[in-house]
Amino acid sequence: MSADKKNIVMISASPKTGTESTSAFLADLQARIFREMGFSTLRLDVRGSMVRGSVESDYAAMLEADAIIITFPLYIYCLPGMLMRFLQDYTDFCREAGRKNSGTRVYAVANCGFAEAWINREAIGVVSSFSRSIDAMFRFGLLIGGGGMLVGTCDAPFMRKTMGRISGTFIKMGEDIKNACTDQAENILVEAGIPQRLYNFMGNKGWVIAAKSNNLKKKDLFRKPYQPGNSGESG
Amino acid sequence: MKALIISDLDFQTDIFKQLNSLITGHLHEKGFSIERIKIGRNDLAFCRGCFNCWVRKPGECIIDDKMTEINRSYINADAVFFLTPVVFGQFSANMKNARDRWLPNMLPFFKIRPDGSTIHPPRYTEYPNLLIIGYADDIVEEDIQLFIDITKDHLRETGVYFFKGENEKADLINTLDRTELAKVRGIL
Repeated sequence: MSADKKNIVMISASPKTGTESTSAFLADLQARIFREMGFSTLRLDVRGSMVRGSVESDYAAMLEADAIIITFPLYIYCLPGMLMRFLQDYTDFCREAGRKNSGTRVYAVANCGFAEAWINREAIGVVSSFSRSIDAMFRFGLLIGGGGMLVGTCDAPFMRKTMGRISGTFIKMGEDIKNACTDQAENILVEAGIPQRLYNFMGNKGWVIAAKSNNLKKKDLFRKPYQPGNSGESG
Repeated sequence: MKALIISDLDFQTDIFKQLNSLITGHLHEKGFSIERIKIGRNDLAFCRGCFNCWVRKPGECIIDDKMTEINRSYINADAVFFLTPVVFGQFSANMKNARDRWLPNMLPFFKIRPDGSTIHPPRYTEYPNLLIIGYADDIVEEDIQLFIDITKDHLRETGVYFFKGENEKADLINTLDRTELAKVRGIL
């Protein structure tokens, strides 16, 4: 399969430090799929870009991209502040350079810690609005529910269908880029392969286990440090 | 009665000044003492998504910066006004960062609401009445609607309003008059 070397910039935008993020995992998967499809690919990491001080060169790469794919975790129902800073500054960079991303296609991949994929809906709208501000063409988004368990369970049999749908959506993005599609494209919703109640039950157990590993008891999770009358000291 | 006004230091525009002045006047009229916090580009570290505010130091962010003061003032206020520039249909970067780092004020657990959607339950019994007010110099209707939907669809107990400017100040004053500026129970 060939795609006359169209150039895709994949932005992974998890603010996490130290541990592998779901966004990085998904961007790695995109990179493998797009390379197999014959695209030229560049992986950017928002936190890395800011820490290394490579923001300007990364912005220059974005300006030259045929397609940009932004992959991020949902923070309080929308884009993380760190990604907003990166995108807000990018529009300033374009304005100062007197350039726009006319002709560039933009896709969004949002994953949330809740089981329901639809919760990402407005965040996809924000990426669409960003695309408009740089004169790029927003195509569609992938909305993932239960994103927090993808990295740890991607090889489990019950996740086979979920992972298949995610990979299938990345292939669809590649074909959309290769074929320069302009028809109306709908967002795609994918959820983890377990029921919401079981997902929540396991998640709730996980918080208690994490607290215990920090020498806290379950009741400590309910502390109210800023309650009027409290000094704020953890005790 | 205490009110907290949080705003973006990098967007103290004319329209912001009109908005701020209207709210300040309203709060003075109602007898509130006002605390103001302006968030600049370098005031807050970005949320790291580490969840240590839930499982290591419950209720407090482990990053030691201005957010500790903001969260303490927030919980102890009766009413909070979150005056945010609207960028791409959501909070500006500075203001979104403050929203992200509000996470310690919720509990980590997952609960299902009557409509079937999941939410993190409240940590505190009472919260200040929060009114989120957006503004922008140049914005399309689609982005105004998106800004409102982000709050209305998910944070249903939170008030949200978009201020279009001096010409619509009567509408904002009506909204303020209808809003009870007192603590509310932390309900789902």
